[in-house]
This record gives sequence, C-alpha cells and structure tokens, in this order.
Amino acid sequence: MEKFSYVNATSLEQVTSLLSDSGWGEVMVIAGGTDLLGELKEYIETPKTLINLKTLPGMDSISADGSGLKIGALATVADIAMYPEIQNHYTVLAQAAGSVATPQIRNVGTLGGNLCQRPRCWYYRDETVDCLKKGGELCYAIEGLSKYHAILGGDPVYIVHPSDIAPALIALGASLKIVGPEGEKTMSVEEFFTLPATNPYRENVLEPNEIVVEVQVPHPKSNAKSFYLKAREKGAPDFALASVAGVFEMEGNTCQAASIVLGGVAPAPWRSTEAEAALTGKMITESVSMQAGEDAVKDAQPLNDNAYKVTLTRNLISRAAMMAAK
Amino acid sequence: MSEKKEYKVIGTRPIRHDGVDKVTGRALYGADFQIAGLLHGRVLRSPHAHARIVSIDTSRAEAYPGVKGIVTAQDLPDPADKVADLGEGAVNLKYLCDNILARDKVLYKGHAVAAVAATSPHIAEEACTLIDVAYEVLPPVLEVRQAMEPDAPLLHENLKTTSLGETADEPSNVASHLQYKKGAPEKGFAEADVVIEREFVTGTVHQGYIEPHNATALYNPDGHLTIWCSTQGAFTVREQVAEILQYPISKIKVVPMEIGGGFGGKISVYIKPVAALLAMKTGKPVKVLMNRTDVFEGTGPTPASYIRVKMGATKAGKVTAAEAYLAFEAGAYPGSPVGPGAMCIFAPYNIENVLIDGYDVVVNKPKTAPYRAPGATNAAFGSETILDELAERLEIDPLEIRLMNGAKEGDRRADGPIYPRIGYIETVEAAKQHPHYAAPNGKKHHGRGVASGFWFNIGLESSVTINVNVDGTINLVEGSTDIGGTRASIAMQAAEVLGIPAESVNPSVVDTNSVGYTAVTGGSRTTYATGYAAYEAAQDVKRQMIARAAKLWEVDEANVQFADGEFSCINGKEEQISFRDLCARLGETGGPVVGSGTVNPGGAGGAFATHVVDVEVDEETGKVEILRYTATQDAGKAIHPSYVEGQIQGGVVQGIGWALNEEYIYDAEGTMTNASFLDYRMPTCLDLPMIDTVIVEVPNPGHPYGVRGVGEVPIIPPPAAIANAIYDAVGIRMTELPMSPERLLKAIGTI
Repeated sequence: MEKFSYVNATSLEQVTSLLSDSGWGEVMVIAGGTDLLGELKEYIETPKTLINLKTLPGMDSISADGSGLKIGALATVADIAMYPEIQNHYTVLAQAAGSVATPQIRNVGTLGGNLCQRPRCWYYRDETVDCLKKGGELCYAIEGLSKYHAILGGDPVYIVHPSDIAPALIALGASLKIVGPEGEKTMSVEEFFTLPATNPYRENVLEPNEIVVEVQVPHPKSNAKSFYLKAREKGAPDFALASVAGVFEMEGNTCQAASIVLGGVAPAPWRSTEAEAALTGKMITESVSMQAGEDAVKDAQPLNDNAYKVTLTRNLISRAAMMAAK
Repeated sequence: MSEKKEYKVIGTRPIRHDGVDKVTGRALYGADFQIAGLLHGRVLRSPHAHARIVSIDTSRAEAYPGVKGIVTAQDLPDPADKVADLGEGAVNLKYLCDNILARDKVLYKGHAVAAVAATSPHIAEEACTLIDVAYEVLPPVLEVRQAMEPDAPLLHENLKTTSLGETADEPSNVASHLQYKKGAPEKGFAEADVVIEREFVTGTVHQGYIEPHNATALYNPDGHLTIWCSTQGAFTVREQVAEILQYPISKIKVVPMEIGGGFGGKISVYIKPVAALLAMKTGKPVKVLMNRTDVFEGTGPTPASYIRVKMGATKAGKVTAAEAYLAFEAGAYPGSPVGPGAMCIFAPYNIENVLIDGYDVVVNKPKTAPYRAPGATNAAFGSETILDELAERLEIDPLEIRLMNGAKEGDRRADGPIYPRIGYIETVEAAKQHPHYAAPNGKKHHGRGVASGFWFNIGLESSVTINVNVDGTINLVEGSTDIGGTRASIAMQAAEVLGIPAESVNPSVVDTNSVGYTAVTGGSRTTYATGYAAYEAAQDVKRQMIARAAKLWEVDEANVQFADGEFSCINGKEEQISFRDLCARLGETGGPVVGSGTVNPGGAGGAFATHVVDVEVDEETGKVEILRYTATQDAGKAIHPSYVEGQIQGGVVQGIGWALNEEYIYDAEGTMTNASFLDYRMPTCLDLPMIDTVIVEVPNPGHPYGVRGVGEVPIIPPPAAIANAIYDAVGIRMTELPMSPERLLKAIGTI
C-alpha cells in the first residue's frame, strides 16, 4: 500500500471540490472500505488522498412511505437487508443485500460502495497485469482463464459486475442521485451503469468529481412478487456465478409484467428484455419459464471456460419465474 | 471394544489447559511477539513460474532510508548436493536451501529471491520493489502428465529418475518411480468377473491454516541465535535452520509460540532461516510475517495428481486384484507424498494381488508439503470410487463389500507390513449400524455415498519431564506443539498414572533448550508418542514417590503400593498417605521429585475410518449440498473424546472443501489466480451440516492405554464418499476434483 493523506469529509461541496482537483485515482472517496482497502493493498489503486465520507451527517438514513424508499448512500448493506419495510415489500432488495459477503462486511459496507465497487476479475486484481480495464491493450480473459467472466455484453472487457444490490434496484425501477460540482442530478440505476463498449475503464457514468448520495425506489405494485436468486460456489462469502433479480406482477398465474435483471454474467447489471417479453402476459408454466430462460441467453457468447454460466443463467431465470407462479 | 478398562481421567472431557488463554485472546502467537529494537523483514518473491536469475541488484533498496539489511541466496552457505536427515527422512540440502532463497533459478511464482530488514514493515515492502532482479524467463510446466513428457521443459538439469533403485542416464522431471507388488495381478484380474478401471484427477489444495507463517530471530554477539515462531515442531526448525545455515545446533534456540493451525504445512521452514540471516546481518531482532498470498504462493500445498485405478472382483464380491498408477506433483523440488499414497491406497482391504506404481514429478509450483494424511486422500478418491462402482455392478451393498474384503489382524499390506490388531471392520460395522445408514434415501436428486480410509500414523521421539509440586500438582514439560488439544490429552495420561485430576497438571510447551528432543506434531503422533512419554515420566515419578513413602515409613520399597492416588504399606505397618500429602513431605524425604520419560515407540497403530454422506445435487445449478455426514473412526482409546471428535470433524470439513471447492487455479504462465481466501474457496459453517462422529475403540497394542493417532485419517474418505453420493443422486461418476458447479453442470451434460 502506498502512503496517502486522509481527510474527513465535512460537506458534499468540500468533497466535490477536493475531487475536482484531479482526474481518476489521485483523490478517492472511502466509506466502508471493504473493496477499496483490498485495491490499495494490492497496488491496484494508489491515491494520494482519501476522503472519508462516513463523517458526512445524515447520509446513512433509510426512510419509507407509501410512494417508496429513500436510502442514503452511506446506509450499510446490513441496514438494507434488515430494514422491515424492505423485507416486507421489497423482497428482492432485502434478499440481494442479505446475500452480500459476510455479516461483518455487510455491517461496514455501504450502499454507495456496493454500487461503485470495482470488478473482482483476477487479471484486474493482479497488480502485475496491465489489462485493458486498467488502460492496457488486452482483456486477458479472452485467451486466458474465464471461469468467472462475462457471457453477455463483454466486448471488449469481459469482467462481470460484482454487485448483488444493483440488479435488485434496477428490477425495482430505482433511481439514484448524484452530486457533483455543478449540483445534483438524478438518473435511473439502469442508466447509471455502462458497458465496456462505451467505456472500458469504468463501470458507470460517474465523473471523477461526482459521488452517489442517495437511491430512491418506487413502491412495488401490490400484486408484485420479487426474488433474488444467487448461484455461487459456496455458502458465503462468495460472489455470484450468476444471479437473477426478478419482480413479477402477477394475476393468479398470469404474469402481467416482469422485470428481470441478471448479475454476475455481464460487465453491468444485465436487464433481460428477452426474458421479460417471454413472460409478460403469459400464464407461467414450466415451458413458458424455460422459454424465458432460453431467450435470455440466446445471444450469450461464452469464453473458453464459462459456458456453464449460460446453463446456469437459463435455469435460474426459469426457476425465478416458476417461483412467481407458485 | 473387547476389554474395557476402568479409568478415572482417561475418557473424560476436562476443559483444556490452554482454553482460557485462547478464548480470551491472551494466548501469544508468533505475530504478537515484540522485543526492543525490532526490525521488520519482507521477502521479495519471483513474479515468474520458471526463470533463470541473471542478476540481482540490491543497491537502490540498500540506499532507501530505513533499510538495515538485505539478503539473497549469496548469503546462504553454498550447499553441496549433501543429503541431510531432518527427522522426516532424507532431504537433499541444495533443494532445501534453494527453496529458502533461489540461487540460480526460480521454479515457481512466489519463490523467494531476496529479503529486506527495515525499520517498519512498510519500508521493507517498498524496498522490495527497489530490488532489481534480471530474469531470463523460461517456459513453465504446470501439470504432472505434461511434466512427464520427454520433451517437457526441465526444472533441474541434474535430476535423473530413480526407478526401483536404478538411476537413469538422462535428466527428467520424474524424480522417482516406486512400486509395490503383491501376488500375481494378471492372474487376479483373470479370476475376476467384473473389472473396472478409471482415471482420476485431483487439484492442488492448501492446508488453509488461519495463521500465516511468522518468525522473529535474534542473533547475539556471542553467537547464540533465538527464533520465536509458529511451528509444528521446534526441534525440526532447529535442525532445518542449522543445516540450511550450516550453523551449530547447540547455538540455536527455537521458541514455539502458539500455533493457529498447521495440518502438516508448518513443518517445513520458509522464512525462519531468512529471519535468522537478516538478524545475523543487521545485529538486530528481525520479524518476518507472511500475508495470505505469500502463504498460498510461497508455502507447500498438497499435490495435484493423476491417478489410474483398476480393480476386479468375483460375482460374490471378492476383490481379486487391484492396480494403481499414481503420478503426483512434487512441486518445484522432489518429495511429493506419492509414497504414503501408494502405501495407503488399498490398505483397508485384504487383496491377494496388487500392483502399485508411484511417480514423484517436479512441476513449476511451490514445493509440496505434508497435509493431513499426505497422499492418501488423492489415492482413496480413486480406489474408493472404483470399489463403489464394483459394489454397484455386483449389486452388493457398498458397506457389505467393504466388510467382505476388509483387512484384519494378520493380513499383509501390499507394501509389506503385517497388520497387528486393527479396527477397520469395526468402523464399517459402526457405519452400518448407525441410524444414518438406515434412514430413508429415496428423494429425487438426493444420494448417499460411503468410503473408507487408512493412515498408518507414526511414533518417533518424544520427551516429557514432570516436576512435582508440594501441593500435589505437577508441572508437565513437553516439546510438542499443541494444535488440537494435546496439552490436555498428554496431561490426562500422566494424571491417570498418578491418580490426580487432569486439572492438577500444568502442562507447558517449551523451547528447544528446555526439554528433551521431541519430533514434530505430525503423523497423528502427539497424543500417542508424547502421551506415551508422559506416561513413562509419570511412572518415573510414581517409582520415586514410592521410595519416599518407604523412607518415611522406614520400610522396604517393595512394601509400598500405589493405587487410586494413595500410597499404602502392605506387609506390616498400617500406613497410608495420599499423593498430595506425600508431595508436601518431599523436602524432608530427600528433596524435589522430577520424573522423566523418553520414547521412540514403534507401535503407532494404524487408524481406519468409514464415512457415510448424504448429498443433494441441484441439477440446474450444479451445486452439491451436504445434507448429513457421519464419520466412524477407530481411535484405539479416546483420551479426551471431545478432541477426538473435533479432529474427526475438522478432517471431514477439510475433505469436503477438497471435494467440492478448493483448488489452485493456475494460468498458462503459472500464476495462481485465486491466491486469497475470497477466491480460494474453503467451506464455512454455511456449507456444512453437523458432522456426526462415532468413536470406535479397538485398543492399539503398542500403547499403554491403547491410543491410536486420530488427526489425519478423517480427511481421506470425504472426496470419494461425496463422489459416490453424487453418483447415487444423479447417476454420474465424478472423477475430477473439485466437484464444482461448473464440472457438475458439464458432467450432467446440460451444457
């Protein structure tokens, strides 16, 4: 780890002005630090200054009313997983947050950090590998080991986005508030994430001098059922090999609307409009649910080692649809 | 099970003597060690899996403020191809030294090439980046079958295959070939009605001890060198450091700190000689710690292997012949556990015709180290799977076929030894009678599997001293690192002899200057051999105390008897005195009593285990869930049953990890891509059910209380038992470890 100076944040204006002075990497923000500290220790990031956001007042609150949720970016993953209103009405979000890492990490990791965490790709995390993500020439997963890499949307960087919470938020139609030197702006969580074809170096639209401050989630319809299914190699801690965040508006066994977002299979949370189309307006049967799975992966382009993820993703989607019909 | 003896202490479950220190966090581990003037060391490791070292320039690092000393292989004595015996068998000293600090070539990524001592760990780390090493990168060879190819890149230009006593002319990566043969295998296979042969592949796995390696060394101007460290054996550290540094053993003192797990991985030294060199060079105490990546990349895991097993049986279920081909990755230097693997593979069975070939093969990975029954788990994955398949084809219950062929007293193992009284059959019977085996097992995608295992255990030297206190307690001094509750299990054997409670024994694990020679805590030997030494030391105390009572009563020693903690006079006087009261009178009867016991027992007594596991296979995700697990094991005599159960459960869990998740994942250049506990997946409590244990007690005739070692054998059956259960669940034979979701999905054929 390189030496750095450490600043406790006092206001958003101060944070954005400190960030404005430099491009990526010179000045960085830290909250829970569960992702960033690993990057510092491995020399993946070598900032000169760290700004501690945890000293910003009020940014860790969660509030709920009939129209929806407001979650501050400093709310911990554990707070989200344990919040009764979220458990009762935003099941997919509670399940996704509850599936993150370990209790210890959920207790310190924050919502903002979870959304902005960097890829777990073993080439990205190896300080000696100068990969495309880090400004090099090549995504090493294409010719190298790709067991945990993307099957969708990869070109030209085949990382997978590691967040569990992001797919759940997108499935729920959430938006987020960003603050920068010019003030604040709001966008959907879906628009927030970008694919490497747009920007191979970052996973979202944040500028170096912007931070996420809040997430807003509209209240699901009363007939909505939602689930987060996460396949992993061991119980915990483990990232998703593939995950499905699904919100289904059901009338009996008929799906009136479906929102299906995949995690662990693409460089950004991956909305499967194909699976949604295959389910919308249909009575969910085994064959309909399987078709939804098939449709979702029909454009999948597995690398050398990750064809199993295509099967896995297909099966998880049908499983989620069948759960909605139950 | 046969003769039940009545014991007062043995078989009870007292609180372990080190318990309070451990649960309050007061126990001192190597990384906790502090001393005035301490410098911090850091090792620079090779980024290449195979390269020639062209030059090492340390000048920039030496000039860095805070750097106090730098060492490379040039600071080590140049070892000739001398062979040293370090307690675990002969070791080529050049290989041993080159593994500490690479001299000519680096042979794996993570191979140590230099080390820095500085005033802070951060300075040491930064200084490492200023050491300029020029490498000529060579192609690595990373897999055992590829390494055996005639045109494979060679790791050692001078390594020539020793095959059955003959040395080849041409260099090769195959260090040795061994063979065990019994009967006439061809004839045996001809007699068989069913013959099954399969190939198996197992991955490289690490012991995964929670505490990384550590060492602090202090070198005094008078030439005395002290090393505080985490180790499974302070004496083996002393021997290895003495050989590597060519330094007199009498000037080295090794102080064992508490240990956070070893499982075989903390016998070989890595940073201890480096800390010593840095201490000698700087004149200051130097502490060197590894991080987790250092541990994965720079210390010995257990080998990946390629295994072929062939077994034949008659329709009635008699196994008539068995053959095995075992090729084990030794890592960078010769010395894989293919020997023990070959000795153990068919050991639970009495098979008339056997042929076993074993190959020890070097590859560009860290030199392998022992890991809990080294070699036997790999081997049993093959043999126990084939036996399961034989039972299935012959429509015989898999435990029944084990009973029909199980080894008993008087049977001869393929590698020679004839079994004394052993308890294999009893473990199978116990599994068969367990409610688990009778429980329903018919649900879709649920399956049940069984497997057995054998590990021979070892004896070796141990020393114990007992100092008797005036209040009737004893201080027990031992040299065995306590990994799994052995302070308690050793103390209890002394307490039993002296008729005192376990709590009246204060055990201490001390440094190499303060107790007689004691071999490593390994080979499941500690409760057996150091316990045996404690028994002898207590007998010595008893003899001396009888003499004191005789003196007190002015009778002949032959007239004093000792039973249930009381000395009494037989023949003549009506005298009686308790052990405790006599302790108060040692001063007046001649001074303190100190007893000692030393052993090198030959009758370690093999351990057998039979496991039953239920799994659920999720065909859609490839995930295997362990639903229920029962392990039966012959412990000979369980001194402290809780720690026997703990050893069994711990072994099973490591076996489950090996079976389902754990493996080193290497890229083509030889970089381990998953060198962290996040990416190297060891099971946690979320992945495991309660592991039920059944302790079977068939006393070992080679120990006064019948003890058999228990620590290693429980890791052997799980991979095969789980593979057999997966077959039962979904009808697919898994032959490659780990049986990960990816491999399951592939095998199920849904991809």
